[in-house]
Amino acid sequence: MKGILLAKFTSFIRGPWLFLIFTGMSIVFTLIIGNIGHGFDRIGVPITGDESIKNSAIGKALEENDVYDFAWREKDALEETVRRGNAEAGIILEEDGYEMIVGIESPNVRLIEQTVAELYAKIFREEAVLGLFAGNEEQKDKFLSDYHEAMENPVFTIENQTFQSAESFIFDRGLHSIFGFTLFFVIFTIFYSVMPILIEKKEGIWDRMILSPLKKWEMYIGNLVYSFIEGYLQILVIFFAFRFLFDMDFHGKFGEILLIMLAYTFTIVSLAIFVTAIVKNTQQFNAALPIVAVSMAMIGGAFWPIEIVQSEFLLALSKINPLTYGMQALNDLVIYQEPFEVVMMPVSILILMGVVFMGVGIHLMEKRHLQ
Amino acid sequence: MTLDSSHPLDARLNWSHGGGNMIELIDITKKYKQTEAVKNFSMYIGRGEIVGLLGPNGAGKSTVISILSSLIEPTSGDVKFLNESIIKNPQPLRKIIGIVPQEIALYEDLSAEENMKFFGRIYHLKGAVLQKKIDEVLQQIGLMDRKKDLVKTFSGGMKRRLNIGVAMLHDPEILVMDEPTVGIDPQSRNYILQTVKRLNEERGMTVLYTSHYMEEVEYLCDRIYIMDQGNLIASGSKEEIKQILASENTILLKADYWNDEFLEKLQGIPQVQQMQVDEKEVTLVVSKEINIFSEVAHLADETNIQLRSVHIKQVTLEDVFLHLTGRALRD
Ligand SMILES: Nc1ncnc2c1ncn2[C@@H]1O[C@H](COP(=O)(O)OP(=O)(O)OP(=O)(O)O)[C@@H](O)[C@H]1O
Ligand SMILES: [Mg+2]
Repeated sequence: MKGILLAKFTSFIRGPWLFLIFTGMSIVFTLIIGNIGHGFDRIGVPITGDESIKNSAIGKALEENDVYDFAWREKDALEETVRRGNAEAGIILEEDGYEMIVGIESPNVRLIEQTVAELYAKIFREEAVLGLFAGNEEQKDKFLSDYHEAMENPVFTIENQTFQSAESFIFDRGLHSIFGFTLFFVIFTIFYSVMPILIEKKEGIWDRMILSPLKKWEMYIGNLVYSFIEGYLQILVIFFAFRFLFDMDFHGKFGEILLIMLAYTFTIVSLAIFVTAIVKNTQQFNAALPIVAVSMAMIGGAFWPIEIVQSEFLLALSKINPLTYGMQALNDLVIYQEPFEVVMMPVSILILMGVVFMGVGIHLMEKRHLQ
Repeated sequence: MTLDSSHPLDARLNWSHGGGNMIELIDITKKYKQTEAVKNFSMYIGRGEIVGLLGPNGAGKSTVISILSSLIEPTSGDVKFLNESIIKNPQPLRKIIGIVPQEIALYEDLSAEENMKFFGRIYHLKGAVLQKKIDEVLQQIGLMDRKKDLVKTFSGGMKRRLNIGVAMLHDPEILVMDEPTVGIDPQSRNYILQTVKRLNEERGMTVLYTSHYMEEVEYLCDRIYIMDQGNLIASGSKEEIKQILASENTILLKADYWNDEFLEKLQGIPQVQQMQVDEKEVTLVVSKEINIFSEVAHLADETNIQLRSVHIKQVTLEDVFLHLTGRALRD
């Protein structure tokens, strides 16, 4: 078994290109799509209105909003953007109210509406009060400064908790991209590290090992441990890069993330063994890999939040998809800050799946070999 | 068929053929869903022999080898090593067998020496013993000066040689080679053939040599099995097999030109069974009993034909295969 590991690692060091490519792609895709390194990521909302509203208190307040990126557009451009789905909603601002154009009905739309509505309410309130001082500029200025001071230093505060309705979810694009792309690209690295089994069997390297005093389990463990290490190494490189090069703190859950990823890596290695056992040759393997990886990513929530998947069928499929549980575990842990027991749920499912795939995979492989 | 058994172990063995067979395949059949790869195949290999297994593509050679070396189980029949079935207990055979797979079974990203270390270690060889063995084998296969180079930089012939080399590290008593010379240059091929012969002569290594090249098998082997489409179609020593065509001779006549009179009279000779006329050559298939030379010479004289040469073509295994199956061994 030591011999197998040695042979595999020597080969790895002499040809690490696939590993480097997939690791690099993970990082680059995350940087581009996750918008990391460009500060806080805000959801863009196009707005439109005439000059007076642009210069009004409402216009200024929207521009300064630090949750949403309200950007001025021409009305046509705004409608076009929403129609194409490049923005979830757009807002047409007027002096005495606003009109919202909704593209996709999503929890965000409600939050955007809430933001704008609150702003209008506040301005109307101020204006209503100011109306009382009509003609008396001195009093008005005094009131305004008192009012603002009072607002900034209230006598008592009412905590205004953001409510999370059952449907709402938090979407942190940066974290989501790291998790999604890492879980996605590591599938390729692991599968390509398991594929040589297929070649070694065909060429007769396995026959040589079978005839030698080497034990069957040593052959499997040697190969699996190697694939596990290569896959996990990729995950380590990616997370360490974001932790220390890009200074992401993962809400203090860095160590736990790495623990969860042990389970995910194991499950993907098992899945790779399973796929290797059912394909007949490397051509079939090469055809199966992108199909498996991409569909796992799509229905597992690696590319977009699984919360926006609507189809019952796809949701059912996502329940047998290890990537779903990998994402869920990471999201629960880091984004929702769930306690450890909650996070253990998807992790246990991952381990269980890994055991099943591995068992069935090795069984099939052995059965086919003896034929 | 005769068995020549000279090994001391033979005395202890008592088999119906009366000889010391290292390995016997008894009525082996192997069925796959679509094909029956091997049908009622029997063979034996005596200690110290080089046995040839000959057949065209898809004949079932590799399947026989896998069954013989305990890698796959036959659908029916039995395989015995020193009179014990290996199907339930393959370990004794596995200890002393070395196989050279049909494909290059090596790690391409490792050097020749690293490959040998790997395959030596799985046989629990290590340290100085392993190193000594590696050097010895590298010497034998002529790859000493390339031992540090990665296998992927090797030529086809060098890979083939290394493929054989790694099978010899644990000093197997029997070497099973599946088409070890496929697709390589003539020099490498000769080198391999000589190496095999030397191993057999100097160390008494038993060899099962699979090929679809007649010449190789004729050069190397004591006894030959010929397979076609899963069936054993002939077996025995080279001479015995050629006896299959013993009743006929093929005679080749050469001259600058022929005339009708000569050809007609030639055809008139009763022993001539077949005649094929080309521009400067005539091929005759004649029955063996009589000497036809004087008659041919006499005819040529009579009809003013200047014969350049007359000779009897040697019967080759190729001819035998053609005779038995109606097909050439290689297309
Ligand atoms: N695992 C298998 N499943 C199904 N059919 C098989 C299998 N292995 C071999 N066969 C079939 O059995 C027949 C004999 O194959 P085998 O490889 O033994 O031939 P061979 O004599 O070694 O040929 P070659 O010279 O091409 O190596 C072929 O028809 C082949 O397609
Ligand atoms: Mg073959």
